[in-house]
Amino acid sequence: MRNSIFVVMVGLFMAAPGLSVDTFAQSSAPGGWPAPEWNKPPITDANRKPAPRRSLAGMWGPAAGAGAGTQGSGVQLKPNNGRPENQLPYTPYGLELYKSHQALEGADAVLPAQDNDPRNRCEPLGVPRYNHYNVRLTQIFQDEYKVVILYHYDNRWRVIWTDGRQLPRPVDGGVDIAGDIREPRFFGYSVGRWRDDYTLEVQTVGTMPEDRVWLDSTGRPISDRVRVTETFQRVDYDTLVWSETIDDPKVYAKPWETLKLPMRLHDPRTDIQEYYCSPAEQENYNRLFGNTAGGK
Amino acid sequence: MRARFVVVLAVAVGLLMPLPLLAHHGSAAFDTGKRVTLKGTVKEWVYSNPHCLLRLEVTGEDGQVVQWVAEGQAPNVIFPAGYRKDTFKFGDHVTVIVEPVKNGRPLGRIIQTVLADGRTLGVASSAGAAPVPQP
Repeated sequence: MRNSIFVVMVGLFMAAPGLSVDTFAQSSAPGGWPAPEWNKPPITDANRKPAPRRSLAGMWGPAAGAGAGTQGSGVQLKPNNGRPENQLPYTPYGLELYKSHQALEGADAVLPAQDNDPRNRCEPLGVPRYNHYNVRLTQIFQDEYKVVILYHYDNRWRVIWTDGRQLPRPVDGGVDIAGDIREPRFFGYSVGRWRDDYTLEVQTVGTMPEDRVWLDSTGRPISDRVRVTETFQRVDYDTLVWSETIDDPKVYAKPWETLKLPMRLHDPRTDIQEYYCSPAEQENYNRLFGNTAGGK
Repeated sequence: MRARFVVVLAVAVGLLMPLPLLAHHGSAAFDTGKRVTLKGTVKEWVYSNPHCLLRLEVTGEDGQVVQWVAEGQAPNVIFPAGYRKDTFKFGDHVTVIVEPVKNGRPLGRIIQTVLADGRTLGVASSAGAAPVPQP
């Protein structure tokens, strides 16, 4: 009996970082199904609460509003709008790749039905593109071994290991884990380490090759030799800043910053509507709208 | 041949709400800033990804019927603006302001809707969305 109580108490303690229900008022949503609440009061000195140690758990959404993580015109910090300050340090190969991509967004956008974006075939977007495509309500869970991110778009999830394991070594066609060659993955292989009690640094390698994935919706390329560095900084209880830098010597001559997105904590009970890429619905959309809209 | 729907250049309604950059299909196909007001009868409302689609039958003064398709963003995006699966019903008489495509086909994206019961819904996109922060 005492053992059972002990197990329950340990279980509750382990789950605590993921629980924040008590910080939200009783839901008054009809039927108890709260919709996302985007008009939150700003965080000020008067209502700021301290960040919990080593915890990213919670339901997060872009702090500036529902559409602030959309990045339809390219990665947040370098939108593809033709301005000189947003030109990227392409290698010759990277520029060739970019020119081969027919994107529906950005400075070189083409009409619908002329594009070759893998998204429009409902292919997985992969890392890092999921960080640059309709980042909306994002659920983060964690335990003592890992952090798991549930992306809204296409109901995708991703594991970041925080148990001290080594980052695999990228090799041609995949990664080397202690002499064992593993396959490339859409989400790659991610390892996180706490830089301090409030900042998790995540490295990702071993992603899919450049003929399978793009960096963003404007056709910027990314290769399987990219090393993605993300930081998740818990600024206070209600705020998480998600940053990203990519280092892809195959495509870009130097590393560059792509993201610095403040996220706001939401009610963990928030009901999230599905946002799938359904091939059948995509086909119907193309039939009724997309193909004709893109015609001459 | 003068149809009932009226083409309105972006002056009156068009400047009310800028379209956020949310498009699944890109913006290149649309005649940015142009507005067309459609008064018609709902044939179908498809609440789906990547876009919701409203099929609307619009009859001109000469009796000619034009089948329009007006698109909204995905359900989760337009939900905050009040668009639901049962927002439009077959046979409803509605007024929809759209931003048309460039090629002259009867297609556009929804800017504003006046429903059969008189309610007005705004841009069929992310309500409350702020512009993406720029460096």
